[in-house]
Amino acid sequence: MTYHFGRGRSRWLPYLLLLPGIVAYFVVALGPSLATTLFSFTDASGLPGAPVNWVGLANYNEFLFLGQAARDNLDAVGRTLIFMFFVTTIQFALGLLVAVILNQKLRGRNFFRTLYFMPVILGAVIQGLIWSLFLYPLGGPLAKFLEIFGARSEFLGGPPTEAFAWVIVVQIWANMGTTMIIFLAGLQTISEEYYEAARIDGANNWQVFRNVTWPLLTPSVNTNLLLNVIGSLQAWQLFLILLGYRNGTQVLGYLIYAVGFGQTSGSVTSSFRQGYAAAASIVLFLMVLVIGLAVQYFLRRREMRLMG
Amino acid sequence: MSATSTSYTPMNRQVPWSKIASYAFLLLLAVVYLGPILMLVNTSLKTTPSFMRDATSVASELNFENFAEAWEKANFPRYLLNSAIYTVSATAIYVVTAVFVAFPISRGYVKYSGLVLTLYVIALFLPPALIPQFQLILRLGLYNNPIGYILLFIVNPIGIVILVNYIKTVPKELDEAAALDGCGYFRFVWSVVLPLVRPALATVVVLHAIGIWNEIILPTIYLTNKDYYPITRGLIVFQGVYGSDWPVLAAAVLMLTFPMVILFLFLQRYIVSGLTAGSVKG
Amino acid sequence: MRKTALGTFVALLLLSVALVQPVAAQTTLRVLVHQNPPMVEFMDTFNQQFQENHPDIVVDMSVVNANDLSTVTQTRLSANDIDVIDMFGFANAVQPYMKNVDPPNWQQLADAGLLMDLTDQPFVANYDAATIADAGTYNGKVYEINLGRVVYSGIFYNQDLFTANNVTVPTTWSELVTACETFTAAGIPCMTAGGKDGWPIFVGAYGLIGALYPDQAALVEGLWTGTITWNDERALDMWSKMQVYARDMIESGASGIAGDAAPGRFASGAVAMFPGGSWYAPAIESAEPEFEWGYIPFPGSDDAEDNQYLFGKYDQGWAIAANTPNAEAALTYLADFSEPENYQAFVNAVGFIPTQETAQLDTHLGAEVAPYLANFRVGYEQYWVAPRGVGQYANPWASYFQPFGTFDDPQTLADTVQADLQSGLDAAGS
Repeated sequence: MTYHFGRGRSRWLPYLLLLPGIVAYFVVALGPSLATTLFSFTDASGLPGAPVNWVGLANYNEFLFLGQAARDNLDAVGRTLIFMFFVTTIQFALGLLVAVILNQKLRGRNFFRTLYFMPVILGAVIQGLIWSLFLYPLGGPLAKFLEIFGARSEFLGGPPTEAFAWVIVVQIWANMGTTMIIFLAGLQTISEEYYEAARIDGANNWQVFRNVTWPLLTPSVNTNLLLNVIGSLQAWQLFLILLGYRNGTQVLGYLIYAVGFGQTSGSVTSSFRQGYAAAASIVLFLMVLVIGLAVQYFLRRREMRLMG
Repeated sequence: MSATSTSYTPMNRQVPWSKIASYAFLLLLAVVYLGPILMLVNTSLKTTPSFMRDATSVASELNFENFAEAWEKANFPRYLLNSAIYTVSATAIYVVTAVFVAFPISRGYVKYSGLVLTLYVIALFLPPALIPQFQLILRLGLYNNPIGYILLFIVNPIGIVILVNYIKTVPKELDEAAALDGCGYFRFVWSVVLPLVRPALATVVVLHAIGIWNEIILPTIYLTNKDYYPITRGLIVFQGVYGSDWPVLAAAVLMLTFPMVILFLFLQRYIVSGLTAGSVKG
Repeated sequence: MRKTALGTFVALLLLSVALVQPVAAQTTLRVLVHQNPPMVEFMDTFNQQFQENHPDIVVDMSVVNANDLSTVTQTRLSANDIDVIDMFGFANAVQPYMKNVDPPNWQQLADAGLLMDLTDQPFVANYDAATIADAGTYNGKVYEINLGRVVYSGIFYNQDLFTANNVTVPTTWSELVTACETFTAAGIPCMTAGGKDGWPIFVGAYGLIGALYPDQAALVEGLWTGTITWNDERALDMWSKMQVYARDMIESGASGIAGDAAPGRFASGAVAMFPGGSWYAPAIESAEPEFEWGYIPFPGSDDAEDNQYLFGKYDQGWAIAANTPNAEAALTYLADFSEPENYQAFVNAVGFIPTQETAQLDTHLGAEVAPYLANFRVGYEQYWVAPRGVGQYANPWASYFQPFGTFDDPQTLADTVQADLQSGLDAAGS
């Protein structure tokens, strides 16, 4: 790309101005993460003055292969994937549908857009508190609604599968707004002319969507898929607030937090084990990386096919 | 209502079924979105015994004392100020540095732009690094120091990715024209690019600010002096006896949310209007 | 507009710098405690008084969630930003027969040399010798003074509801079952518990374990050595009863009640019983001072003889950071705290069973537990350390049963629990 803003010394200006951001990135984000990688090969407790020994792959071996605990960890990995699958597909589809509807000239559309985006503003803690309240089993709104049909439920305190399903619901509720906004942005870059041309060819609504909207929406589709996949794989705060550390509901992100903060329930005691916690977080990192890159690769190929 | 329909709604036949279906769907979804929030508001206006008796009934008593109590207990005025300081400074530093990272990468004005972007994309996946990060801040002598705390929030890869993509919609011809007019690089980015990417900027600002404002764990670890607590740290008094006191907790949470909602409403014309590319479609 | 934003930012930054005002040349004693409202309230008063008596010392006490206490202790020790440390459960020492275990937090702290040796401090003598030995001594040195014991295997009961429904206080398991059936038939939920926090459900049934395994240190050793299993006949009896407890006795909706809302619900008179720890007593009293309640051991056995024990644990304790620059102030702080009258005030505030011989728990709870105090025993939770590799179900917890968990059959659960435990024991090669 040709640079127009001068030569010689002033050619360095973009680099100079770029520097603070990059330095911050290396120091605050990348550096500590690399240190975590090193940590994962040690028995570091994280306490000052405690000896730190190189233990090779022992932490990974324990996390992935030692006894029933390892099988429970792998269950959590499986659950993380299930969580990702449901959250990504539903949030993606719902966000797209809502965006398409709200891209029409409807009365009150700004109200709806604002409303659906509102949970994003609240942050995970408040999202979680709001839903704990909404799902309050002793006479909360949903409990009352079920009562009409003579049904009852413990909701978040009930069997793990049901509790887990509720977290999926809340996660989608909380983040659908972002998906919607990104789709809306994409929809607005599609020129009216394409729609008119399709109409003149006698296309119906579905055909217009299938042949005009969908292919031209590719950039937003890619952004959303990637964000949804990464976001759902790393999610843990809602699990903490809605469920706490409960058997049969943990996902990997929460597991790491719990190990790091000494809050696992397999044992009644807690220990400082930062090396082990680091190994668990590297496992999550690799998983997110592989899935994320696979999604990227798949999307690139699709984009090339569509765009020629 | 059908008078407002445009080319993208179905042809105007007798009954606008598609429009009716749209509204039905939007309203149904609105119930799911409003319901929990209304429950929070309703709870915040109830007395505790009334909540214990019937959690869902309408708060006819309009008990505003919950707000006063929460305000008092959580030391709101002082901690709100701290939260504002952290959120505003970190967001400002972040947004300014981010623009100067995103613009040259997006344009390819620096070598290895692709590589730098890849680094930021990888950053999306990076594992949490609680202890190493703590050691870093400690060694820098910035532990229990507002500056050190702010430092934790000056990196956010998602914002960079959003900005890089958005800047691509700003026509490259503008650069050349501006340069011909004698406009320097800094001034160009600051006074030409910045206003043009306002919608993306607004989104990045809101997303980043929300993260800082609502952070609960980092203040517990990095700020041990009470004078530095942000409001989320002050909310700890509601754990314990007050954790179960839903009405007061609900009031506190509403007050905590209020400034972010204001910020959002202020920026929402950029955000919910869909980050529109507007006149600078790429 | 952008200029205003920048201006505001600079102004705020300056303001934040202005807020950093170092305190004058005094000793600032840094104390970390976990959030427990009655205790925090007491500590505020105590700190005030302490500062008046020692004008050269300023106490800076910070409060964190109990969940974050160990992490914050760790980071603050790293930063040498702590003098007086609040510790939980100075028990669970790793026993010789345990292999492949992670030592508990306090043991790691002592091993890393982060705790001050308090052995020769005169105030240690204020506490009873057994407590210092059981919950304070490690490798022959005293590292902690423990501030009190709590009982967690009892049931609070509503005297009015018992009288009104002609129910006598149960002393055996079958009487308890009958009592619950009577209340349920009368439309009164039998028991409540703070299920939202998870643990109150299973802690509520700890009395069941106690009634069946009166010697819990032997229980833990038996589990480790394989002479006791969680799916033998006695354990099956326990699991069947736990199922009845989880399914029939606890009211539906209990999973939504926060741990500290449960005393309020019980005090409101809505439920007949509330299985839980003695630490709830102050909350029950402050919620409804006129309310008449009693506290009995959970009758887990059909032989009333087995049901006379109360099980519990050592609660909070104080330790001092070994590297503190304020050692003198920290020691003075603990010495003042350990003064019998201050300690008595502390016990009155938090309702602990005292660990100083001269102190008394003068509350209603104190009177209720007095007959059983001779039979106080430290419970399973204080002895158990799990080997690495145990599964998530390797504990005797009633919350595994529906509606709180997935299990519906005692035998299946018993086998799962034993398998999860065995897996860790096998990995430890013992």
